[in-house]
Amino acid sequence: MLNEMNLGLIFLSAFIINNILLIRFLGLCSFIGLSTNLKSSASMGMAVIFVAVMASSISWAVYEYLLIPFHLEYLRTAAFILTIASFVQFEEIIIRKKVPALYRAFGIYLPLITVNCAILASAFLGIDYKLSFIQNLVFAFGIASGYCFVIVLFASIRERLATSPIPSIFKGVPIAFILAGLMSLAFLGLKGLFKL
Amino acid sequence: MKKLIDPKSFTLGLWKENPIFYLMLGLCPTLAVSSSLKDAIGMGVAFIFVLTGSNITISIIRRMVPSHIRIPVFIVVIATFVTIADYSVAAYLPKLHRNLGVYLPLMVVNCIILGRAEAFASKNNIINSALDGLGTGLGFTLAIIAIATLRELPGQGTLLGIKIFGDGYKPFLIMIMPPGAFFVIGFLIALKNSIGDRKKC
Amino acid sequence: MKKKDIITGLIVIFLVTVLSGYLLAQVYKITRPRIDEQKKQEEQRLYKEIFPEGIEFVEEKEYVSVYDSNKNLLGRIYNVVQPGYGGPIVIKAGFDIEGRVKGVRILEQSETPGLGAKITEKAFLDQFAGKSGNQLYLKKHNKEGTIDAITGATISSKAVSDAIIKIQEKLKSEGTIDTTAGETQKEKEKQK
Repeated sequence: MLNEMNLGLIFLSAFIINNILLIRFLGLCSFIGLSTNLKSSASMGMAVIFVAVMASSISWAVYEYLLIPFHLEYLRTAAFILTIASFVQFEEIIIRKKVPALYRAFGIYLPLITVNCAILASAFLGIDYKLSFIQNLVFAFGIASGYCFVIVLFASIRERLATSPIPSIFKGVPIAFILAGLMSLAFLGLKGLFKL
Repeated sequence: MKKLIDPKSFTLGLWKENPIFYLMLGLCPTLAVSSSLKDAIGMGVAFIFVLTGSNITISIIRRMVPSHIRIPVFIVVIATFVTIADYSVAAYLPKLHRNLGVYLPLMVVNCIILGRAEAFASKNNIINSALDGLGTGLGFTLAIIAIATLRELPGQGTLLGIKIFGDGYKPFLIMIMPPGAFFVIGFLIALKNSIGDRKKC
Repeated sequence: MKKKDIITGLIVIFLVTVLSGYLLAQVYKITRPRIDEQKKQEEQRLYKEIFPEGIEFVEEKEYVSVYDSNKNLLGRIYNVVQPGYGGPIVIKAGFDIEGRVKGVRILEQSETPGLGAKITEKAFLDQFAGKSGNQLYLKKHNKEGTIDAITGATISSKAVSDAIIKIQEKLKSEGTIDTTAGETQKEKEKQK
């Protein structure tokens, strides 16, 4: 199969055009919950980028060198989630020991990342699209950056919204979703901007 | 003392503690597959299967699992059921499998399933855990059906693939695209807020 | 105390994993044949659509060779992943041995519904059939082009056109098939 997607295109596609949050709907749980606060959003965003890139790469390697040779592809769901969970656990321990300041910055978001759909999705999609190791890495980075970008943008708007007059039935979550819808609309318009 | 068969386990997940509208969990697949009613129902059924199955299993082994190792064990159990669902759908309903795509295996990190395992199944008997699974699963399914109906009808003019408005209907395309999903759920939650209790979150 | 906990923990998780693994292997054994069968049926259906006269479809490394009942080579079917407007488009294009397009099918696309997504429609794809060389370009991009782009979906249409031309280039460079446009005339006479 001729795969014509170069790295730049892969990144842009993952970052904006098929944005993980606003177009693919993944990573929403943490998104809605955290985006009221700019600081926590930034922390989560950074943590997601780190974990996504590392975990996707490890999962790719596990799939390519462990599952395929032994014809165990059907174990990928379990294998990937265990890889992610173990990785998060592992590096939480390492970061706590080596760079305690960073550990405090991440706070409770590091373990929370384990159930972040976005991370698992980037691992799955990398396999589905039959990406090479480098392509998968860039893809994961694009997805995670897209997540970080949107959550930070969102948080800054929501912090501003908190002081605006909104009908009480819309306050909080509903207005957040409507806002997400508007942003999604904007991102849809960006489709095709970088093509051909 | 907890009753042996407690019907409350079933009803709680259905309305009062509906996972999507009240607890705001498990949003990812909800919005993603709700552009088509048929897919939404398929997803709902798969979800009920996984949730009930994992609830029952975890309830069965709950006394044999040491506390500090329970989360990884839960994850393995859930992953097993998700994989069973994934491959069963792939084998018998290939079109649905193609439409659900990556969101089917993604159920393994669905906050709802892990949440119920931790909060309920690990502390209650088998029958109640099963009821909880069914109730919550059904609540999830009904919610996703509601959203899908509100998206497919205006967005494609069809329901379950059957043309409701006739051939001349110009579809309100935005509804089946991502922004539509966000708007629908935003308005539905606002609606729920206006109907529901004045309880403080 | 602590050590005992770790050991029991490890044993439990080992048991659970082994049990799940066994269960999954069984489910896999049961469902695998059906899944493979369906995949094959789907592929065969697609190949037949592109090459109705094809009897045998042999999967090679980079393409699928199509043979008739007498084992004569009828042509080849290629897969291309082309960047489209909204994401990668997966295209299957069949070429006959005279180097003309036999048929085109779109497998995956994320173009705009109602506009770019129309590239999956027969009306658009059938335009490529029987053509070769510069005829495969969009009318608006090349003097010799014969393909009408979809109104309001030039980028999606161009992606499909580009992908097919790319395959043609590949065929040319392999030297297996002669793709001069003059062939269409000869074939028209032969068919009469």
